[in-house]
Amino acid sequence: MRDDPLRGSDREGVLFFGAMGAGLSHELSNIFNIINELAGLQQDIVAAAAQSGTAGLARVTDLAARIKAQVDRGEAINRSLHRLSHCIDDTEVDFDLGDALALFGTLAARAARLAEVDIDIRPPETSLAHRGSSFDLLLALHACMRVALAAATSVRRIDVWAEEGPSGVRVIVGSGDPVAGTDGDPSNAAVLMSGSAALGAAPRIETTPEGECHIVLDLGSRRTVAAEQADERKAEV
Amino acid sequence: MAMDRVLLVDDEVSFLEALAERLQIRGLEVVCARSGREALSAVEEQTFDAVVLDLSMPGLDGVETLRRLRELRPELQVMILSGRATVQTAVEATRLGATDIFEKPTDVDTLVERIRAARAARLAHEQEVAQESIDEIMRTKGW
Repeated sequence: MRDDPLRGSDREGVLFFGAMGAGLSHELSNIFNIINELAGLQQDIVAAAAQSGTAGLARVTDLAARIKAQVDRGEAINRSLHRLSHCIDDTEVDFDLGDALALFGTLAARAARLAEVDIDIRPPETSLAHRGSSFDLLLALHACMRVALAAATSVRRIDVWAEEGPSGVRVIVGSGDPVAGTDGDPSNAAVLMSGSAALGAAPRIETTPEGECHIVLDLGSRRTVAAEQADERKAEV
Repeated sequence: MAMDRVLLVDDEVSFLEALAERLQIRGLEVVCARSGREALSAVEEQTFDAVVLDLSMPGLDGVETLRRLRELRPELQVMILSGRATVQTAVEATRLGATDIFEKPTDVDTLVERIRAARAARLAHEQEVAQESIDEIMRTKGW
């Protein structure tokens, strides 16, 4: 039997990248289809205006705004695709967790919409920097989201945020619906463990006193290069 | 003469609105539904010559919506208009009774032509059913 050319975590990464690329490509196709119909509608309106001798300017102006809105939407998706593609470049780099979560929000939006689940990405109140691989974090978050989406059958709401915990930074995927712990559902365990293998932070599932379920990714307290340089400058002074 | 009535089903509101306007310009009466559930409600309450249905939608996807629409109204003419219909979904949709499979972007005039053909097919079907009823009455009542 031939050896798998990709290690387990690499394979997870490729699968994640493929799934995200396909989803974003689908969203871009939707936008092109809308622009195609708007362009066709513009032709129809101009043809009707020419026939009736009326100007139809207001409708054409409205259409231009609708086309522009779709182009902006497409540009935002393309930016996310570009950022996703480049976050694989460095495995050890300082990155802002707020930015990473915002990117994750765009990537997860389609899956959440198709599952009819509201997703709210809460940016940190102050900038939270972390050192490591933002791709590995996105991959782990994707695994947490898959588990949370599969469990979202009643409240159908998922919140994602990052915070400073007692042992460093942690990212939380919170669901109003109960999520079976890794000991309670072997398939959840498999998804969570393989998705977070590269990150090296096994997700924990906690239930709050209010009954909310939190999938917690402990990222630890890894000093960023920027923080180390700031400390060095202080020491020199 | 009554207008051709079509139900457009797609979760992309901007697409739905633009295509609806284009069909209206061509003389069709258009009702829009943003999900499979909305489509089922509309078909329960109203009569349509054709349904133009997207495949990838939140909640009930296009194939499941098609299956339920056909259960509700077996004579309904349903066309698929989708961005990424796979061979598998196209085969499944055809098996469930979809009359046409269009890939986005599609030519609106071809779509209108097929919707008009669907109306003709629906009227022919109604006439056939009415004729069968008449024949049955003639047979059982012995007139």
